[in-house]
Amino acid sequence: MKFALSVLCAVLPLAAQDVKMPVGLDKLGAKASEVVDVSLDGALLQLAGRFLSEKDPDEANVKRLVGGLKGVYVKSFEFEDRDQYKESDVEELRAQLRGPAWARIVSARSKKDGENSEIYLKTDAGQISGLVIIVAEPKELTVVNIVGFIRPEDIRDLGGHWGIPKVDIAPVKPGKNDKKEDEK
Amino acid sequence: MMDDFEQQIKAALAKKEPSPFFEARVLGAAKRQARDRRASARMWWASAIAAALLVTTGSAWQYEREAHEQAAGREAKARLELALKITSVKLQKISQKVEGI
Repeated sequence: MKFALSVLCAVLPLAAQDVKMPVGLDKLGAKASEVVDVSLDGALLQLAGRFLSEKDPDEANVKRLVGGLKGVYVKSFEFEDRDQYKESDVEELRAQLRGPAWARIVSARSKKDGENSEIYLKTDAGQISGLVIIVAEPKELTVVNIVGFIRPEDIRDLGGHWGIPKVDIAPVKPGKNDKKEDEK
Repeated sequence: MMDDFEQQIKAALAKKEPSPFFEARVLGAAKRQARDRRASARMWWASAIAAALLVTTGSAWQYEREAHEQAAGREAKARLELALKITSVKLQKISQKVEGI
């Protein structure tokens, strides 16, 4: 009985997270000049939600967005030099996203800049139940895993609100090495 | 007849010596009463102090718990803000890149 309980306790957080962040990613912290590691499970999200005001329109918007979430996990590494991480560090994560529940909706690769960005969505019975973003840049690697009902545009549109900067980069002119896949 | 009655009255009103230790018993009873009153007062004060301590400790615990929850909530909110900031910025960049290509 005790064994069954301990196994259940060990498995439950993984089930909540659904996609497991590769252990290899944590090792990158030693090489990185800046590391951001945010791990918010359902209970912490609920707690954070209680401190979001209904009166402030921006906070109310975030509160509504967070209401459908079960977990938010972000790992971001910034390096002083290029090529401090390997493709294999992210491959373990990509392997988990090859299951039938997951679909890669965006993959933008720029050989010129050495950037590779991917967005994956998980759907259950027609409902979005997970979002994973992998952004691999020469000196930066960011992995975001959001569990629960979320639409990428809802988070993107937070730009310019609640202290979140609105990114305004100049449109990129297509280069011969740039490739775009937009699978949905 | 009258003599009998007088005799009875005299016998009834005759000065009797108290039983031995009568004074000690009276004084003992008085002391016991005083002691019981003191004990009762002590018990009342002890109960009042215990109740006051309970209320104070309970309030302090509640305050501490609320302060701890406030701190944890603020921390969780800050972490959520950071996570959403990173996610939003990355999504905006991807979105603009995809639209720009």
